[in-house]
Amino acid sequence: MPHDENSTAGRVATQERIETLEADTEIPAPDLDTRPPSSGATRQANDDLRSLEAGLDRLQTDPEHAPRAWQRFTTSVLPPILFVLALIAAWQLYVVIAQPRPDIVPGPLDVLAAMSQAWESGRLQTAVLTSLERGVVGFLIAVVVGTPLGLLLAEVKPLRRAVGPIISGLQVLPSVAWVPAAILWFGLTDATVYFVVLMGATPSIVNGLIAGVEQVPPQLRRVGTVLGAGRTRLATLVVLPAALPGYVAGLKQGWAFSWRSLMAAEIIAVGGTIGFGLGSMLQQSRELADIGGVLAAVLVILFIGILIELVFFAPLERRMLRRRGLLGGTR
Amino acid sequence: MSGQTAIRIEQLGKRFGAGPLVLDDVNLSVGAGEFVCLLGASGCGKSTLLNLIAGLDRPTTGTIDVPAEGAAVMFQESALMPWLTARQNVELALRLRGVARSARRGEALELLDTVNLADAAEKRPHELSGGMRQRVALARALAQDRPVLLMDEPFAALDAITRDLLHEELERVWRRTGRTIVFVTHNVREAARLGQRVVLLSSRPGRVAGEWRIAETSGRRIESPEVAALSIEITEQLRKEIRRNAA
Repeated sequence: MPHDENSTAGRVATQERIETLEADTEIPAPDLDTRPPSSGATRQANDDLRSLEAGLDRLQTDPEHAPRAWQRFTTSVLPPILFVLALIAAWQLYVVIAQPRPDIVPGPLDVLAAMSQAWESGRLQTAVLTSLERGVVGFLIAVVVGTPLGLLLAEVKPLRRAVGPIISGLQVLPSVAWVPAAILWFGLTDATVYFVVLMGATPSIVNGLIAGVEQVPPQLRRVGTVLGAGRTRLATLVVLPAALPGYVAGLKQGWAFSWRSLMAAEIIAVGGTIGFGLGSMLQQSRELADIGGVLAAVLVILFIGILIELVFFAPLERRMLRRRGLLGGTR
Repeated sequence: MSGQTAIRIEQLGKRFGAGPLVLDDVNLSVGAGEFVCLLGASGCGKSTLLNLIAGLDRPTTGTIDVPAEGAAVMFQESALMPWLTARQNVELALRLRGVARSARRGEALELLDTVNLADAAEKRPHELSGGMRQRVALARALAQDRPVLLMDEPFAALDAITRDLLHEELERVWRRTGRTIVFVTHNVREAARLGQRVVLLSSRPGRVAGEWRIAETSGRRIESPEVAALSIEITEQLRKEIRRNAA
Protein backbone atom coordinates (compact mmCIF):
# COMPACT_ATOMS: atom_id res chain seq x y z
CA MET A 1 0.00 0.00 0.00
CA PRO A 2 2.66 2.59 0.78
CA HIS A 3 4.21 1.93 -2.58
CA ASP A 4 1.19 3.14 -4.45
CA GLU A 5 1.30 6.32 -2.50
CA ASN A 6 4.97 6.67 -3.18
CA SER A 7 4.53 6.56 -6.88
CA THR A 8 2.15 9.46 -6.71
CA ALA A 9 4.36 11.36 -4.33
CA GLY A 10 6.52 13.62 -6.42
CA ARG A 11 7.57 12.84 -9.93
CA VAL A 12 8.80 9.31 -10.09
CA ALA A 13 11.54 8.89 -12.59
CA THR A 14 10.68 5.78 -14.52
CA GLN A 15 13.67 3.63 -15.24
CA GLU A 16 13.58 0.28 -16.88
CA ARG A 17 15.80 -1.29 -14.27
CA ILE A 18 13.60 -0.38 -11.37
CA GLU A 19 11.60 -3.19 -10.02
CA THR A 20 8.98 -2.46 -7.48
CA LEU A 21 8.87 -5.08 -4.84
CA GLU A 22 6.34 -5.79 -2.22
CA ALA A 23 7.48 -4.36 1.07
CA ASP A 24 6.82 -7.68 2.77
CA THR A 25 9.53 -9.49 0.88
CA GLU A 26 12.07 -6.73 1.26
CA ILE A 27 11.81 -5.70 4.84
CA PRO A 28 13.37 -7.83 7.52
CA ALA A 29 11.00 -8.98 10.21
CA PRO A 30 11.53 -6.90 13.35
CA ASP A 31 11.39 -9.95 15.60
CA LEU A 32 14.82 -11.01 14.34
CA ASP A 33 15.98 -8.44 16.83
CA THR A 34 17.51 -10.52 19.55
CA ARG A 35 18.28 -13.71 17.71
CA PRO A 36 21.84 -14.13 16.57
CA PRO A 37 22.26 -14.59 12.85
CA SER A 38 21.48 -18.23 12.21
CA SER A 39 23.05 -19.15 8.93
CA GLY A 40 26.73 -19.95 8.81
CA ALA A 41 27.32 -17.61 5.88
CA THR A 42 26.04 -14.55 7.71
CA ARG A 43 27.98 -15.49 10.80
CA GLN A 44 31.08 -15.78 8.69
CA ALA A 45 30.40 -12.37 7.16
CA ASN A 46 29.80 -10.89 10.60
CA ASP A 47 33.06 -12.27 11.91
CA ASP A 48 34.85 -10.85 8.91
CA LEU A 49 33.36 -7.45 9.52
CA ARG A 50 34.19 -7.73 13.20
CA SER A 51 37.86 -8.46 12.68
CA LEU A 52 38.10 -5.87 9.92
CA GLU A 53 36.65 -3.24 12.18
CA ALA A 54 38.84 -4.26 15.10
CA GLY A 55 41.91 -3.95 12.87
CA LEU A 56 40.89 -0.52 11.61
CA ASP A 57 40.09 0.65 15.13
CA ARG A 58 43.54 -0.42 16.25
CA LEU A 59 45.14 1.44 13.34
CA GLN A 60 43.21 4.62 13.95
CA THR A 61 43.78 4.99 17.67
CA ASP A 62 46.96 5.43 19.65
CA PRO A 63 47.19 4.02 23.12
CA GLU A 64 47.42 6.99 25.46
CA HIS A 65 50.44 7.13 27.68
CA ALA A 66 49.94 8.51 31.14
CA PRO A 67 52.76 10.91 31.94
CA ARG A 68 55.31 9.32 34.21
CA ALA A 69 55.89 10.86 37.63
CA TRP A 70 59.54 11.57 36.93
CA GLN A 71 58.73 13.16 33.59
CA ARG A 72 56.12 15.37 35.23
CA PHE A 73 58.61 16.38 37.89
CA THR A 74 61.26 17.41 35.38
CA THR A 75 58.89 19.22 33.04
CA SER A 76 56.52 21.04 35.37
CA VAL A 77 57.86 21.02 38.94
CA LEU A 78 61.58 21.53 38.49
CA PRO A 79 61.65 24.65 36.24
CA PRO A 80 59.80 27.01 38.61
CA ILE A 81 61.81 25.77 41.60
CA LEU A 82 65.06 26.41 39.75
CA PHE A 83 63.84 29.85 38.75
CA VAL A 84 62.97 30.81 42.34
CA LEU A 85 66.34 29.57 43.58
CA ALA A 86 68.06 31.64 40.91
CA LEU A 87 66.02 34.68 41.94
CA ILE A 88 67.02 34.28 45.59
CA ALA A 89 70.63 33.81 44.61
CA ALA A 90 70.55 37.00 42.54
CA TRP A 91 68.96 38.87 45.43
CA GLN A 92 71.63 37.66 47.85
CA LEU A 93 74.34 38.52 45.36
CA TYR A 94 72.96 42.05 45.01
CA VAL A 95 72.88 42.53 48.78
CA VAL A 96 76.46 41.27 49.14
CA ILE A 97 77.84 43.37 46.27
CA ALA A 98 75.84 46.62 46.52
CA GLN A 99 75.57 46.65 50.33
CA PRO A 100 72.23 48.58 50.46
CA ARG A 101 70.82 49.88 53.76
CA PRO A 102 69.50 46.80 55.56
CA ASP A 103 66.45 48.70 56.84
CA ILE A 104 65.38 49.34 53.21
CA VAL A 105 66.66 46.33 51.28
CA PRO A 106 67.14 43.37 53.57
CA GLY A 107 68.81 40.21 52.30
CA PRO A 108 67.04 36.88 51.94
CA LEU A 109 68.53 35.76 55.23
CA ASP A 110 67.07 38.77 57.09
CA VAL A 111 63.65 37.96 55.70
CA LEU A 112 64.07 34.34 56.71
CA ALA A 113 65.05 35.47 60.18
CA ALA A 114 61.94 37.68 60.43
CA MET A 115 59.84 34.76 59.30
CA SER A 116 61.26 32.36 61.88
CA GLN A 117 60.89 35.01 64.56
CA ALA A 118 57.20 35.34 63.71
CA TRP A 119 56.94 31.57 63.76
CA GLU A 120 58.56 31.27 67.19
CA SER A 121 56.25 33.87 68.69
CA GLY A 122 53.31 32.00 67.16
CA ARG A 123 52.10 35.10 65.27
CA LEU A 124 52.74 33.54 61.86
CA GLN A 125 50.73 30.41 62.60
CA THR A 126 47.82 32.43 63.99
CA ALA A 127 47.88 34.79 61.02
CA VAL A 128 48.05 32.02 58.43
CA LEU A 129 45.28 30.01 60.07
CA THR A 130 43.00 33.03 60.50
CA SER A 131 43.51 34.22 56.94
CA LEU A 132 43.18 30.77 55.40
CA GLU A 133 40.00 30.04 57.31
CA ARG A 134 38.44 33.34 56.26
CA GLY A 135 39.66 33.00 52.72
CA VAL A 136 38.24 29.50 52.35
CA VAL A 137 34.96 30.22 54.13
CA GLY A 138 34.51 33.48 52.23
CA PHE A 139 35.26 31.71 48.94
CA LEU A 140 32.79 28.93 49.72
CA ILE A 141 30.08 31.49 50.51
CA ALA A 142 30.88 33.16 47.17
CA VAL A 143 30.54 29.77 45.42
CA VAL A 144 27.19 29.12 47.08
CA VAL A 145 25.94 32.57 46.08
CA GLY A 146 27.59 32.74 42.66
CA THR A 147 26.67 29.33 41.26
CA PRO A 148 22.85 29.60 41.28
CA LEU A 149 23.12 33.23 40.25
CA GLY A 150 25.35 32.29 37.32
CA LEU A 151 23.04 29.47 36.26
CA LEU A 152 20.02 31.74 36.43
CA LEU A 153 21.71 34.43 34.36
CA ALA A 154 23.03 31.89 31.84
CA GLU A 155 19.65 30.27 31.24
CA VAL A 156 17.36 33.32 31.40
CA LYS A 157 18.42 35.58 28.54
CA PRO A 158 16.48 38.78 29.38
CA LEU A 159 17.84 38.66 32.90
CA ARG A 160 21.35 38.28 31.60
CA ARG A 161 20.95 41.26 29.29
CA ALA A 162 19.89 43.35 32.26
CA VAL A 163 22.24 42.10 34.97
CA GLY A 164 25.20 40.79 32.95
CA PRO A 165 26.95 44.13 32.33
CA ILE A 166 26.63 45.09 35.99
CA ILE A 167 28.24 41.83 37.08
CA SER A 168 31.06 42.31 34.58
CA GLY A 169 31.44 45.86 35.88
CA LEU A 170 31.69 44.60 39.44
CA GLN A 171 34.58 42.46 38.32
CA VAL A 172 36.47 45.58 37.30
CA LEU A 173 35.75 47.39 40.56
CA PRO A 174 38.57 46.66 43.03
CA SER A 175 36.86 45.06 45.99
CA VAL A 176 38.99 47.18 48.37
CA ALA A 177 36.62 49.96 47.41
CA TRP A 178 33.97 48.18 49.47
CA VAL A 179 36.02 48.25 52.67
CA PRO A 180 34.99 51.72 53.92
CA ALA A 181 31.33 51.00 53.25
CA ALA A 182 31.60 47.60 54.88
CA ILE A 183 33.19 49.09 57.99
CA LEU A 184 30.34 51.59 58.27
CA TRP A 185 27.76 48.83 57.82
CA PHE A 186 29.25 46.00 59.83
CA GLY A 187 31.81 47.72 62.03
CA LEU A 188 35.20 46.16 62.69
CA THR A 189 33.88 42.59 62.65
CA ASP A 190 34.52 39.49 60.57
CA ALA A 191 31.36 40.31 58.62
CA THR A 192 33.22 43.20 57.04
CA VAL A 193 35.96 40.87 55.82
CA TYR A 194 33.49 38.30 54.48
CA PHE A 195 31.48 40.98 52.72
CA VAL A 196 34.54 42.28 50.90
CA VAL A 197 35.63 38.76 49.92
CA LEU A 198 32.13 37.99 48.67
CA MET A 199 32.02 41.12 46.52
CA GLY A 200 35.45 40.27 45.16
CA ALA A 201 34.88 36.62 44.27
CA THR A 202 31.23 36.32 43.25
CA PRO A 203 31.43 38.23 39.92
CA SER A 204 34.28 35.99 38.73
CA ILE A 205 32.38 32.84 39.57
CA VAL A 206 29.19 34.11 37.93
CA ASN A 207 31.04 35.23 34.82
CA GLY A 208 32.95 31.97 34.58
CA LEU A 209 29.77 29.97 34.73
CA ILE A 210 28.02 32.17 32.15
CA ALA A 211 31.00 31.91 29.82
CA GLY A 212 31.07 28.14 30.32
CA VAL A 213 27.39 27.78 29.49
CA GLU A 214 27.71 30.02 26.45
CA GLN A 215 30.49 27.86 25.09
CA VAL A 216 28.50 24.64 25.29
CA PRO A 217 28.35 23.41 21.68
CA PRO A 218 24.75 23.72 20.39
CA GLN A 219 25.18 20.17 19.06
CA LEU A 220 25.21 18.77 22.57
CA ARG A 221 22.01 20.59 23.50
CA ARG A 222 20.40 19.32 20.33
CA VAL A 223 21.43 15.76 21.10
CA GLY A 224 20.10 16.14 24.63
CA THR A 225 16.75 17.25 23.24
CA VAL A 226 16.69 14.43 20.72
CA LEU A 227 17.46 11.94 23.48
CA GLY A 228 14.39 13.20 25.28
CA ALA A 229 15.74 15.48 27.98
CA GLY A 230 13.40 18.16 29.29
CA ARG A 231 14.55 21.57 30.47
CA THR A 232 15.74 20.48 33.90
CA ARG A 233 17.48 17.30 32.84
CA LEU A 234 19.06 19.09 29.89
CA ALA A 235 20.53 21.58 32.36
CA THR A 236 21.78 19.02 34.89
CA LEU A 237 22.87 16.19 32.57
CA VAL A 238 24.15 18.10 29.57
CA VAL A 239 24.64 21.84 30.00
CA LEU A 240 26.22 21.90 33.47
CA PRO A 241 28.79 19.18 32.86
CA ALA A 242 29.57 20.65 29.47
CA ALA A 243 30.10 24.06 31.07
CA LEU A 244 32.40 22.68 33.74
CA PRO A 245 35.70 23.91 32.22
CA GLY A 246 34.45 27.50 32.18
CA TYR A 247 33.04 27.12 35.66
CA VAL A 248 36.30 25.79 37.06
CA ALA A 249 38.21 28.64 35.40
CA GLY A 250 35.76 31.02 37.09
CA LEU A 251 36.28 29.30 40.44
CA LYS A 252 40.02 29.60 40.07
CA GLN A 253 39.78 33.28 39.35
CA GLY A 254 37.23 33.63 42.14
CA TRP A 255 39.70 32.16 44.61
CA ALA A 256 42.41 34.57 43.45
CA PHE A 257 40.02 37.47 43.94
CA SER A 258 38.96 36.14 47.34
CA TRP A 259 42.52 35.97 48.55
CA ARG A 260 43.39 39.41 47.23
CA SER A 261 40.27 41.03 48.64
CA LEU A 262 40.88 39.37 51.96
CA MET A 263 44.39 40.76 52.21
CA ALA A 264 43.19 44.23 51.26
CA ALA A 265 40.44 44.08 53.86
CA GLU A 266 42.82 42.84 56.55
CA ILE A 267 45.33 45.59 55.87
CA ILE A 268 42.75 48.36 56.05
CA ALA A 269 40.42 47.05 58.74
CA VAL A 270 42.43 46.38 61.87
CA GLY A 271 41.12 46.20 65.43
CA GLY A 272 37.66 45.62 66.83
CA THR A 273 36.72 41.96 66.83
CA ILE A 274 38.59 41.33 63.59
CA GLY A 275 41.09 38.54 64.17
CA PHE A 276 44.79 38.68 63.41
CA GLY A 277 45.39 37.67 59.81
CA LEU A 278 48.29 37.88 57.38
CA GLY A 279 47.17 41.31 56.22
CA SER A 280 47.12 42.49 59.82
CA MET A 281 50.59 41.09 60.31
CA LEU A 282 51.78 42.94 57.23
CA GLN A 283 50.26 46.19 58.47
CA GLN A 284 51.78 45.71 61.94
CA SER A 285 55.25 45.20 60.48
CA ARG A 286 54.85 48.37 58.44
CA GLU A 287 53.96 50.33 61.56
CA LEU A 288 57.10 48.99 63.21
CA ALA A 289 59.13 49.94 60.09
CA ASP A 290 60.22 46.29 60.01
CA ILE A 291 60.95 45.76 56.31
CA GLY A 292 62.08 42.18 56.93
CA GLY A 293 58.70 41.42 58.52
CA VAL A 294 56.85 43.16 55.67
CA LEU A 295 58.64 41.15 53.01
CA ALA A 296 58.22 37.98 55.01
CA ALA A 297 54.45 38.55 55.16
CA VAL A 298 54.30 39.34 51.42
CA LEU A 299 56.17 36.13 50.65
CA VAL A 300 53.90 34.07 52.88
CA ILE A 301 50.79 35.57 51.23
CA LEU A 302 52.21 34.81 47.80
CA PHE A 303 53.27 31.33 48.83
CA ILE A 304 49.83 30.40 50.15
CA GLY A 305 48.18 31.72 47.00
CA ILE A 306 50.47 29.59 44.85
CA LEU A 307 50.10 26.57 47.12
CA ILE A 308 46.30 26.54 46.90
CA GLU A 309 46.52 26.88 43.14
CA LEU A 310 49.05 24.05 42.89
CA VAL A 311 47.52 21.52 45.27
CA PHE A 312 43.86 22.19 44.56
CA PHE A 313 42.96 23.96 41.32
CA ALA A 314 45.74 22.79 39.03
CA PRO A 315 45.15 19.03 39.56
CA LEU A 316 41.38 19.54 39.36
CA GLU A 317 41.68 21.42 36.09
CA ARG A 318 44.26 19.07 34.62
CA ARG A 319 42.20 16.01 35.43
CA MET A 320 39.06 17.51 33.95
CA LEU A 321 40.78 18.66 30.76
CA ARG A 322 42.58 15.35 30.27
CA ARG A 323 39.35 13.42 30.60
CA ARG A 324 37.84 15.56 27.88
CA GLY A 325 40.89 15.33 25.63
CA LEU A 326 41.44 19.08 25.88
CA LEU A 327 44.98 18.72 27.15
CA GLY A 328 47.49 18.41 24.31
CA GLY A 329 49.35 15.17 25.00
CA THR A 330 51.39 15.06 28.18
CA ARG A 331 52.79 18.56 28.01
CA MET B 1 4.37 -4.56 10.98
CA SER B 2 5.53 -4.92 7.40
CA GLY B 3 3.58 -2.97 4.87
CA GLN B 4 2.55 -0.33 7.36
CA THR B 5 3.51 3.26 6.89
CA ALA B 6 5.98 4.61 9.45
CA ILE B 7 6.33 8.15 8.18
CA ARG B 8 3.79 9.99 6.05
CA ILE B 9 4.58 13.44 4.74
CA GLU B 10 1.89 15.35 2.88
CA GLN B 11 2.17 18.63 1.00
CA LEU B 12 4.94 19.72 3.27
CA GLY B 13 6.25 23.25 2.90
CA LYS B 14 8.84 25.05 4.95
CA ARG B 15 10.17 28.56 4.94
CA PHE B 16 12.29 30.26 7.57
CA GLY B 17 10.84 33.61 8.55
CA ALA B 18 10.26 35.69 5.44
CA GLY B 19 12.97 33.86 3.49
CA PRO B 20 12.46 31.81 0.31
CA LEU B 21 10.71 28.46 0.35
CA VAL B 22 13.12 25.76 1.45
CA LEU B 23 10.76 22.84 0.94
CA ASP B 24 7.78 22.93 -1.37
CA ASP B 25 4.98 20.40 -1.63
CA VAL B 26 6.99 17.42 -0.47
CA ASN B 27 5.02 14.17 -0.42
CA LEU B 28 6.65 11.04 0.84
CA SER B 29 5.72 8.00 2.78
CA VAL B 30 8.13 5.55 4.27
CA GLY B 31 7.08 2.01 5.09
CA ALA B 32 7.83 0.46 8.45
CA GLY B 33 11.25 -1.15 8.32
CA GLU B 34 12.15 0.54 5.06
CA PHE B 35 15.60 2.02 4.34
CA VAL B 36 15.17 5.27 2.42
CA CYS B 37 17.98 7.52 1.27
CA LEU B 38 17.22 11.20 0.77
CA LEU B 39 19.61 12.52 -1.80
CA GLY B 40 20.20 16.05 -3.00
CA ALA B 41 22.71 18.77 -3.73
CA SER B 42 23.55 21.41 -1.17
CA GLY B 43 20.66 23.68 -0.32
CA CYS B 44 17.97 21.17 -1.22
CA GLY B 45 16.65 21.23 2.31
CA LYS B 46 17.35 17.59 3.08
CA SER B 47 18.61 18.37 6.56
CA THR B 48 15.63 20.67 7.06
CA LEU B 49 13.34 17.84 6.07
CA LEU B 50 15.07 15.52 8.51
CA ASN B 51 14.78 18.06 11.33
CA LEU B 52 11.08 18.37 10.57
CA ILE B 53 10.63 14.60 10.73
CA ALA B 54 12.62 14.55 13.97
CA GLY B 55 10.30 17.17 15.42
CA LEU B 56 13.18 19.59 15.99
CA ASP B 57 11.37 22.12 13.82
CA ARG B 58 7.82 22.78 12.66
CA PRO B 59 6.50 22.74 9.10
CA THR B 60 5.10 25.94 7.62
CA THR B 61 2.45 24.05 5.70
CA GLY B 62 1.41 20.42 5.32
CA THR B 63 1.59 17.54 7.73
CA ILE B 64 4.06 14.98 8.96
CA ASP B 65 2.94 11.79 10.67
CA VAL B 66 5.57 9.90 12.59
CA PRO B 67 5.17 7.07 15.10
CA ALA B 68 4.09 8.31 18.51
CA GLU B 69 7.34 7.05 20.05
CA GLY B 70 9.23 9.55 17.92
CA ALA B 71 12.51 9.12 16.12
CA ALA B 72 16.14 8.68 17.03
CA VAL B 73 18.56 11.00 15.25
CA MET B 74 22.20 10.68 14.29
CA PHE B 75 24.12 13.71 13.07
CA GLN B 76 27.19 14.26 10.95
CA GLU B 77 29.18 14.97 14.09
CA SER B 78 28.96 12.19 16.62
CA ALA B 79 28.15 14.84 19.28
CA LEU B 80 29.12 12.51 22.10
CA MET B 81 29.39 14.04 25.54
CA PRO B 82 33.16 14.51 25.92
CA TRP B 83 33.15 13.98 29.68
CA LEU B 84 31.48 10.57 29.46
CA THR B 85 32.95 7.25 28.35
CA ALA B 86 31.48 5.41 25.37
CA ARG B 87 29.41 3.27 27.73
CA GLN B 88 28.22 6.26 29.76
CA ASN B 89 27.19 8.03 26.57
CA VAL B 90 24.97 5.11 25.66
CA GLU B 91 23.76 4.92 29.25
CA LEU B 92 22.73 8.56 29.09
CA ALA B 93 20.32 7.72 26.28
CA LEU B 94 18.99 4.77 28.29
CA ARG B 95 18.58 6.97 31.36
CA LEU B 96 16.66 9.60 29.41
CA ARG B 97 14.50 6.80 28.02
CA GLY B 98 13.67 5.81 31.59
CA VAL B 99 15.58 2.53 31.83
CA ALA B 100 16.21 1.51 35.45
CA ARG B 101 19.71 2.21 36.73
CA SER B 102 20.50 -1.45 37.36
CA ALA B 103 19.69 -2.47 33.78
CA ARG B 104 21.58 0.35 32.08
CA ARG B 105 25.11 -0.96 32.25
CA GLY B 106 24.36 -4.36 30.76
CA GLU B 107 22.16 -2.97 28.04
CA ALA B 108 24.74 -0.32 27.12
CA LEU B 109 27.47 -2.95 26.82
CA GLU B 110 25.20 -5.08 24.67
CA LEU B 111 24.49 -2.15 22.35
CA LEU B 112 28.18 -1.34 22.10
CA ASP B 113 28.80 -4.95 21.21
CA THR B 114 26.23 -4.61 18.44
CA VAL B 115 28.52 -2.06 16.80
CA ASN B 116 31.65 -4.09 17.64
CA LEU B 117 32.85 -1.70 20.28
CA ALA B 118 32.65 -3.79 23.44
CA ASP B 119 36.38 -3.37 24.00
CA ALA B 120 36.23 0.41 23.83
CA ALA B 121 33.39 0.80 26.32
CA GLU B 122 35.51 2.59 28.91
CA LYS B 123 37.22 4.91 26.45
CA ARG B 124 36.32 8.58 26.20
CA PRO B 125 35.34 10.14 22.88
CA HIS B 126 38.69 11.84 22.32
CA GLU B 127 40.42 8.47 22.53
CA LEU B 128 38.27 7.05 19.73
CA SER B 129 38.70 7.43 15.98
CA GLY B 130 36.04 9.22 13.94
CA GLY B 131 34.52 5.94 12.80
CA MET B 132 34.40 4.57 16.31
CA ARG B 133 32.72 7.74 17.56
CA GLN B 134 30.05 7.41 14.91
CA ARG B 135 29.51 3.80 15.94
CA VAL B 136 29.07 4.91 19.55
CA ALA B 137 26.60 7.50 18.26
CA LEU B 138 24.81 4.70 16.40
CA ALA B 139 24.69 2.60 19.56
CA ARG B 140 23.33 5.62 21.41
CA ALA B 141 20.66 6.13 18.75
CA LEU B 142 19.73 2.45 19.02
CA ALA B 143 19.55 2.86 22.79
CA GLN B 144 16.65 5.24 22.29
CA ASP B 145 14.71 2.25 21.03
CA ARG B 146 12.57 4.22 18.62
CA PRO B 147 11.12 2.54 15.54
CA VAL B 148 12.51 5.24 13.26
CA LEU B 149 16.17 6.17 12.88
CA LEU B 150 17.00 9.42 11.12
CA MET B 151 20.54 9.91 9.93
CA ASP B 152 21.89 13.25 8.73
CA GLU B 153 25.00 12.58 6.64
CA PRO B 154 26.45 10.53 9.47
CA PHE B 155 29.45 9.27 7.50
CA ALA B 156 30.26 12.38 5.49
CA ALA B 157 33.29 13.32 7.58
CA LEU B 158 34.87 9.85 7.51
CA ASP B 159 37.58 8.47 5.28
CA ALA B 160 36.53 6.11 2.48
CA ILE B 161 37.74 2.90 4.10
CA THR B 162 35.97 3.62 7.36
CA ARG B 163 32.84 4.71 5.53
CA ASP B 164 32.72 1.41 3.61
CA LEU B 165 32.89 -0.52 6.85
CA LEU B 166 30.23 1.61 8.47
CA HIS B 167 27.95 1.01 5.49
CA GLU B 168 28.23 -2.71 6.13
CA GLU B 169 27.78 -2.19 9.84
CA LEU B 170 24.67 -0.06 9.34
CA GLU B 171 23.18 -2.51 6.88
CA ARG B 172 23.74 -5.34 9.34
CA VAL B 173 22.18 -3.36 12.20
CA TRP B 174 19.22 -2.48 9.99
CA ARG B 175 18.62 -6.10 9.02
CA ARG B 176 18.93 -7.21 12.62
CA THR B 177 16.75 -4.59 14.23
CA GLY B 178 14.17 -3.91 11.54
CA ARG B 179 14.33 -0.18 12.11
CA THR B 180 12.87 2.28 9.64
CA ILE B 181 15.81 4.33 8.45
CA VAL B 182 15.80 7.69 6.68
CA PHE B 183 19.33 8.43 5.60
CA VAL B 184 20.23 11.87 4.28
CA THR B 185 23.28 12.18 2.05
CA HIS B 186 24.73 14.17 -0.83
CA ASN B 187 26.79 11.18 -1.90
CA VAL B 188 25.07 9.42 -4.80
CA ARG B 189 27.04 6.20 -4.44
CA GLU B 190 26.34 6.05 -0.75
CA ALA B 191 22.63 6.36 -1.45
CA ALA B 192 22.78 3.68 -4.16
CA ARG B 193 24.80 1.44 -1.88
CA LEU B 194 22.55 1.69 1.16
CA GLY B 195 18.95 2.44 0.27
CA GLN B 196 16.04 0.23 -0.66
CA ARG B 197 14.71 3.37 -2.14
CA VAL B 198 16.53 6.53 -3.16
CA VAL B 199 14.56 9.77 -3.16
CA LEU B 200 16.11 12.65 -5.08
CA LEU B 201 15.30 16.17 -3.90
CA SER B 202 15.61 19.15 -6.20
CA SER B 203 17.13 22.34 -4.87
CA ARG B 204 15.56 25.69 -3.99
CA PRO B 205 12.90 24.86 -3.24
CA GLY B 206 13.33 21.23 -2.29
CA ARG B 207 10.85 18.96 -4.04
CA VAL B 208 10.85 15.25 -4.72
CA ALA B 209 12.47 15.07 -8.16
CA GLY B 210 12.82 11.35 -8.61
CA GLU B 211 12.62 7.97 -6.94
CA TRP B 212 14.49 4.75 -7.48
CA ARG B 213 13.76 1.38 -5.94
CA ILE B 214 16.40 -1.23 -5.55
CA ALA B 215 15.18 -4.80 -5.82
CA GLU B 216 18.11 -6.75 -4.54
CA THR B 217 19.68 -5.09 -1.53
CA SER B 218 21.79 -7.86 -0.06
CA GLY B 219 25.42 -8.31 -0.97
CA ARG B 220 25.82 -4.79 -2.32
CA ARG B 221 29.18 -3.07 -2.06
CA ILE B 222 30.15 0.45 -2.95
CA GLU B 223 32.13 -0.97 -5.92
CA SER B 224 29.38 -3.33 -7.13
CA PRO B 225 28.46 -2.82 -10.80
CA GLU B 226 24.76 -2.46 -10.03
CA VAL B 227 25.54 0.29 -7.50
CA ALA B 228 27.71 2.01 -10.10
CA ALA B 229 25.03 1.71 -12.79
CA LEU B 230 22.35 3.14 -10.54
CA SER B 231 24.71 5.92 -9.45
CA ILE B 232 25.18 6.97 -13.05
CA GLU B 233 21.46 7.16 -13.60
CA ILE B 234 20.85 9.11 -10.44
CA THR B 235 23.77 11.44 -11.10
CA GLU B 236 22.36 12.28 -14.52
CA GLN B 237 19.05 13.22 -13.02
CA LEU B 238 20.77 15.12 -10.21
CA ARG B 239 22.81 17.14 -12.70
CA LYS B 240 19.68 17.97 -14.63
CA GLU B 241 18.17 19.32 -11.45
CA ILE B 242 21.27 21.35 -10.64
CA ARG B 243 21.45 22.79 -14.17
CA ARG B 244 17.93 24.06 -13.77
CA ASN B 245 19.32 26.51 -11.22
CA ALA B 246 21.75 28.01 -13.74
CA ALA B 247 19.00 29.61 -15.80
